[in-house]
Amino acid sequence: MKFLPLIWAGIWRKPGRAILTLLSVANAFLLFGILQGFASGLNHAVGETHADVLLTFSRVSQVEPLPVSQVAQIRTVPGVRAATPVVPIIASYRAPTQIVPAEAVDPKAILAVDPGLTIPQTMIDALSSTRTGALVSKRLATRYGWKVGDRVPLRALQIQNSNGTPTWPVDIVGVFDGKGGTLFANAMLLNFDYVDQGRATGAGTTNVIFVRVDDPNHATRVAQAIDRLFANSAHETKTSTVREVAQDQIKQLGDIGFVINAIVGAVFFALLFSVGALMMQSVRERTPELAVLKTLGFTDRAVMGLVMAESLTFCLVSAAVGLGLAALLFPVARQTIGFDVQAGPLMLAGFGLAVVLALISGGPPAIRAMRLEVVDALAGR
Amino acid sequence: MNEAAEPLIRLRGVIKRYRRGRQTLEVLHNLDLDVAAGEFLALMGPSGSGKTTLLNLIGGLDQPTEGEVEVAGEEIDRLSGGQLARWRSRHVGFVFQFYNLMPTLTAERNVELPLLLTPLSGAERKRNVEAALALVGLTDWRKHRPNELSGGQQQRVAIARAIVADPTLLVCDEPTGDLDRETAEEVLGLLQQLNRAQGKTIVMVTHDPKAASFASRIVNLDKGALVPAPAMGVV
Repeated sequence: MKFLPLIWAGIWRKPGRAILTLLSVANAFLLFGILQGFASGLNHAVGETHADVLLTFSRVSQVEPLPVSQVAQIRTVPGVRAATPVVPIIASYRAPTQIVPAEAVDPKAILAVDPGLTIPQTMIDALSSTRTGALVSKRLATRYGWKVGDRVPLRALQIQNSNGTPTWPVDIVGVFDGKGGTLFANAMLLNFDYVDQGRATGAGTTNVIFVRVDDPNHATRVAQAIDRLFANSAHETKTSTVREVAQDQIKQLGDIGFVINAIVGAVFFALLFSVGALMMQSVRERTPELAVLKTLGFTDRAVMGLVMAESLTFCLVSAAVGLGLAALLFPVARQTIGFDVQAGPLMLAGFGLAVVLALISGGPPAIRAMRLEVVDALAGR
Repeated sequence: MNEAAEPLIRLRGVIKRYRRGRQTLEVLHNLDLDVAAGEFLALMGPSGSGKTTLLNLIGGLDQPTEGEVEVAGEEIDRLSGGQLARWRSRHVGFVFQFYNLMPTLTAERNVELPLLLTPLSGAERKRNVEAALALVGLTDWRKHRPNELSGGQQQRVAIARAIVADPTLLVCDEPTGDLDRETAEEVLGLLQQLNRAQGKTIVMVTHDPKAASFASRIVNLDKGALVPAPAMGVV
């Protein structure tokens, strides 16, 4: 700690240059924080999915409907604890940008299918008994200012009402916390019967069947049993765990991890040169000062350590600024994308990267400082 | 010099050669020199006579090609680079012609630098720094940076830095070379006071006979060899 003023003074020898370099390094760490935060949040969201929940789609494609009658057949498969048809509805509220993720579900099966979801039984009963009822997550209710008793005219983007309009009026009968739930935690839950019977086409079908198994270790075996049940039928199925489906969907977007690592890698590779050049220039300018330190009794290694400490302090401060700014954006990411960024591991990785950056960019100037010959440097040679 | 006393600095058969490209230059030739503890020695001579080279050897900044250099009982010509650095921090204070202060540090932080290498606590370092600055009369300027100080004040900060760790020996290379006459005399008076009141042994390189007159002994160097001093009063 006693060397800190000396290290700090070395960094701020040329304040303008130091600030500009700090901003460029901080900017790189901001980019790192946002991109890696996105990736980690995505991975975390996938990792959080329950291994004991299966999704059954049509083998043809995920948009091909399945008959609702298959739900009852699936419930008879050994190892199945619960099953519910789910019709995902992408809807908007007043403006097209006010997106509402809605799911038409069987209220009686919903809690059994999403094990972490805690919705009071009274709310489930209210949804069951109100044909146009809707349960909304706290987050949605807060975002749109909804409360129990409100009538909300949803505009579905892909399911038309039998009256020829895309409008589905729903009555809010409960606001649930959403904590712990992974499948429906942020959604609006509607009565499957209301949607199924009210739509212009496709009555009696579902896009997906959510299945919960007794034992996650048997998930694969149960999935195979379900698919075998409908093999060679008019509606063959493809059953996978939620995690597998999520991973497939992410893969469809491309190899996000590779793209992010490539961008971050390129940025930091460029930074190595700019920080390295700054440190080298700084050491060159301070040759007489470093020689004086050696004259006073600082050993070659101590002077090398000082330069390395400068590089380390500079990179860590820059990383703290960049990652701090990124952390301010994490709540925004949660609001807009809907998943949590794993800030702890991300910060750890960021500061680890800062240390690597400091060691590589500060190494050559530190070695130069170490090799400095006092007599020659004092004589200006 | 008191012949009976054990010398603080003892040089025997010192030769210093430098390689410059393909040439080898012998800067000091078989030089013997004793400096007693508590002595204020002025090293004079024309440019290129080897004064600074000799000073560097005495201060442990450089090592002889041949010969022995013993300072404060330590044969410093046998020490490694790291050992020599640690030895300098304990035994030698340096004062340069151009002050060589850290431009980004305040006067007190500059003075504190040698103490960073000691196990002293922050409070102890602060006390020593205040004492050293008080001794050179710069207590009120302790928070100022070098560019806010005059040349004389900067040199006094450099002297405070040189004495703060209470070294045995002060090595001064043209300490008044960049100062006007009046300020130079103030600085030389300060060095003389340190020599007389604190008993510091001082070896000072200077071109200036007036500056040399503040020393208790003058040694002349010419073409790398000691030559008899011209008649000059000892102060």
